[in-house]
Amino acid sequence: MTDWKNIQNGDGGWAYNKGCSWTEPTAFVLLAQSATEVDGRSFAAGLKFLRSMQRWDGGWSPQPGVAESTWVTALALLLPEDAIGSVRVTRALQWLENQTGRESSWTERLQRRLAGNKDPSPEGWPWFPGAAAWVIPTSLGILAFERALARRRNSVLRARVEEGRNFLFYRMCADGGWNHGANRALGRDGDSYPETTGIALAALHRAPKSPQIERAKDAARRHLATCRTAEGIAWLRIGLQAHGERVRLEYEPQPRTTQDAALLAIASAPSNPLLS
Amino acid sequence: MNPTRRELLAAGAGLALTRCTRTSPLPSAPRNSRVSIVKSPAYTMDVYDNVYRMVAAHNLNVRGKRVVLKPNLVEFDPATAINTHPMVVHAAYETFRRLGAAEVKIAEGPGHRRATLDLADAAGYFQTVPHFEDAFTDLNLDAVSKRVISQPVSQLKSLYLPHTVLDCDLLVSLPKMKTHHWAGATLAMKNLFGLVPGGVYGWPKNVLHWAGIAPSIVDLHRLFPRQFAIVDGIVGMEGNGPIQGTPKNAGVLVAGSDVVAVDATCCRIMAIDPTKIEYLTLARGAENLTDSHFHQIGERIDSVRCPFELIDPWSQWVRA
Repeated sequence: MTDWKNIQNGDGGWAYNKGCSWTEPTAFVLLAQSATEVDGRSFAAGLKFLRSMQRWDGGWSPQPGVAESTWVTALALLLPEDAIGSVRVTRALQWLENQTGRESSWTERLQRRLAGNKDPSPEGWPWFPGAAAWVIPTSLGILAFERALARRRNSVLRARVEEGRNFLFYRMCADGGWNHGANRALGRDGDSYPETTGIALAALHRAPKSPQIERAKDAARRHLATCRTAEGIAWLRIGLQAHGERVRLEYEPQPRTTQDAALLAIASAPSNPLLS
Repeated sequence: MNPTRRELLAAGAGLALTRCTRTSPLPSAPRNSRVSIVKSPAYTMDVYDNVYRMVAAHNLNVRGKRVVLKPNLVEFDPATAINTHPMVVHAAYETFRRLGAAEVKIAEGPGHRRATLDLADAAGYFQTVPHFEDAFTDLNLDAVSKRVISQPVSQLKSLYLPHTVLDCDLLVSLPKMKTHHWAGATLAMKNLFGLVPGGVYGWPKNVLHWAGIAPSIVDLHRLFPRQFAIVDGIVGMEGNGPIQGTPKNAGVLVAGSDVVAVDATCCRIMAIDPTKIEYLTLARGAENLTDSHFHQIGERIDSVRCPFELIDPWSQWVRA
């Protein structure tokens, strides 16, 4: 069991490994604590840091030196709404709702149509505003909106979740898993990665059963047999468990970062705090 | 079906090439730069001596300076030639320490995979470089500061960049000699994409693609005026690089302080016309990329020339 307090920075946040606090590892450590054992003072300090990272536009900055809201906004929304605060959550949802991959903008769609390209480009989420949508931020966006939908009815959020799922299916690799989001380049198939396959599977935990989901689970099982990274194994376990499959590990990965340790703790927890 | 040149350019610019119309500043003037070429047929202990001799020949004054080595770590596949070989990285590490650098760090921020330390481990870095983890910084997760790009060639106006590289006195690019399906060739300049923090911009660093790959390479290069490059061309990658290509035994190391000159020289060794590589022409101007502008030390290009296989349409377009 990681002693989260021991590796917590003075500002209440956590670093990926060493150095300054970042939003992502802080959110995952708080989620890990909430799924296992909460250290009251450590949790409160972490939450205070996390709240301080929300910007005027409602989004979250990835670290104190960055004056931009990015994909990490979805991570803050995975924490219990009561902990973050409902006003903050509402503003963050609005920010996230306005984010979409640049390829989905009407100008890009028009350009593609004029060029005879019929790529449907379902709407996903980018890592950084103004860039294209990719698998990890889209998966986190789906999970964040599903969390919000558990407490409110909102047809716009519901539609984005559906569209996000379409994006994931559209970007699925030929081997049934996912890589960062480029499933084909120059007419050649890309190989899937363990971590992205796991996170996409987790994001699809409420998608209707389908042959595609079964193929994705097969791909995740294949990755699990060979993957040796803590990040990959944790996400594969989270993804498969989200579809009701308990995973017995043949190999115990060693966490290299705080982020790895938090993900492994979440993957081993009796209930998954990422899922609604 | 193979893509056309037009399709390649369009895709390579992140589907936004037509928007990269900002008037570019004049390319930097030719410097009659010295570029070292050394035959190094295999990853043997000779690599250490070869790297030391190459760097020493350039009379770099690194005594008391902070040096950052930037290898190219891309994928988990030790069986192929995707990543800079750990022996080249260790040889450079030992060389700069021997030359009196106060601090030598190894730093990289891979563009697709997030588990950088695992990637480095799989590539053999932990095994080859003693206390690797102490010397290494994951640039994707380093503290950052914003830098404004004056007179950008790309659509970028500013970039957040890691303190580890902003604070160093000399940035040493240690790329693998590879073909690249969007850029033609990926060498010392393109290697700088790994400086852009994934923790801010994501994996991949897609803002660079939308701003135009070639212009972004040039803008990044200009942000770091104190550079040196050592290109690992002992075993490079040809064909559908930088990931899905095949290993190519070129048996060569190429080095120099003028990184544009180093890349242009590598292109010639690979039998690629450097004047057809957009980022080189943007950086220096095609007229300044001819042989006469560079002074080769060591081997002559003809003696190490090793044509790299190229995918279409690059094969018809850039072959020297």
